Amino acid sequence: MVDWLAKLESLDRRWLYGGTVLVLLVPFVVAIPMPPGGATPATQGLYDRVESCPGDKVVLVDSSWDMGSRAENQAQLECVVRHLCRRRVRFVVTSVGVTKFAPEFAARVIEPIAAKAGYVYGRDWANLGFVEARGGMGAVVDGLCRDLHSVRPTDVKGTPVGELPLLDDVRSIQDVHLVYCITYAPVPEWISFVKGQHGTPVAFGSMSIMSPQYYTYLDSGQLCGMLAGNRGAAEYEALDGHPSLGTRLIMAASFGNCVIIVAALLGNVGAWAVRRRRRAGK
Amino acid sequence: MRRSVVRLITFVGGLYFLLEFLLPERAPAWLGGWKNPLTPWFGTATNVVIVVGTMAFLLGPFNLTRSHVMTLVRKQKGRVYSAAFLVALVVSMVATALKPEDLRTVWTVVYEALFYGVIAAFFASSMALLAFYLVSAAHRALRLSTADSALMLGAAAIILLGQVPAGDWLTCGLPRGLQLRSWSQWILMYPNTAVQRAVLIGACGGAFATGLRHWLGLGTRLE
Repeated sequence: MVDWLAKLESLDRRWLYGGTVLVLLVPFVVAIPMPPGGATPATQGLYDRVESCPGDKVVLVDSSWDMGSRAENQAQLECVVRHLCRRRVRFVVTSVGVTKFAPEFAARVIEPIAAKAGYVYGRDWANLGFVEARGGMGAVVDGLCRDLHSVRPTDVKGTPVGELPLLDDVRSIQDVHLVYCITYAPVPEWISFVKGQHGTPVAFGSMSIMSPQYYTYLDSGQLCGMLAGNRGAAEYEALDGHPSLGTRLIMAASFGNCVIIVAALLGNVGAWAVRRRRRAGK
Repeated sequence: MRRSVVRLITFVGGLYFLLEFLLPERAPAWLGGWKNPLTPWFGTATNVVIVVGTMAFLLGPFNLTRSHVMTLVRKQKGRVYSAAFLVALVVSMVATALKPEDLRTVWTVVYEALFYGVIAAFFASSMALLAFYLVSAAHRALRLSTADSALMLGAAAIILLGQVPAGDWLTCGLPRGLQLRSWSQWILMYPNTAVQRAVLIGACGGAFATGLRHWLGLGTRLE
């Protein structure tokens, strides 16, 4: 028995890889419902903030993700945009600094949802595109807060912002109810300038692997909410009563995490058996 | 001379952003209520930052192109990859430039094939490989050998299960305080927050010292 268990220590990786693929496929083949559990305070905070948006303000969505973090960020964008459309909240989309591919990915997610909700581009929502921030994220974020039109004179298609009716009402951060930044790892400059200097609430949507670093800002109240990976997106979808991509993906993550734990268990059992065999002098 | 000019620009730029940030937009009435004279220049200063950053961004493709062209010209080893890079660069640039916004032409198809068919697929695949590395690393490296490693493994297992519905299924019969999701939230909100703050304070101190050295041109080699 011990000899057999010792083989687990040097288990061929291909078995692990094959097992991972099979297990990750299960939730895409079999529909598994999300267990009831309620939302974490971080998710609830963002949801409540969107719910409380008055008609004369907008939400600034900074969608700065691309294919690298699409697996988690897409669902985080989808669920919030769907909620904004349901509440008839107008929103402006930017992609500050992180990746030039971001506006295209944001558009592909937002356009179908906005069209379905009867949102008119330029009147109800606008995509201002990529803002270069290699010279300094702080200066660019601060510039957006003070004078949006000066930092982004045109939208993603090159239309002057003066020709977009929505942007007549949105000139600075004072016209914004919430800044929601979605990317692999949102930068703290959003907190420093948007919340710190101008007092507008900020929420993040980050990859779950990066989310632990933001709990300190949640605890201090500098972030009003956060969607941590697909878990956050799935909770948000449950709050909004519209289970979708986040719910499907968190099931895959659920199975994936179990595989990691099983792999660690197998490795430890194998190592224990090897130690025991060594002590027995075999 | 050049070194002094770079230092002067760095110092003036740093001083401008520091004073503009620290001084209020309007002074209190008992001080005369004057407006911050630096604020009207903020838009221009920000645009300068963006323009300089964009110039730096262009340096990358220029250097890459030069390096790969030289590899081809000198017929060095790996010139096939250099040729592939240059072809991809030119085709991507042409497809992006010629793709109309509202019409669907052959360039739209080329652009979408390159962007979604190649770049997005490559990028997503390389990130997806991490899942397999993670499973392999968990099998090979997460060993229960000391009390410290036991603590780390225990915390990792709680977070891994508590952050996904699997944890809810496993412990849904227990009182809320004993469920894995409550444990993982506690770990994230308390021990994790304390450690993150400690790291952040240390890192900010270092960043402040580095920033100050750059700003004042102390011990910075500027060629």
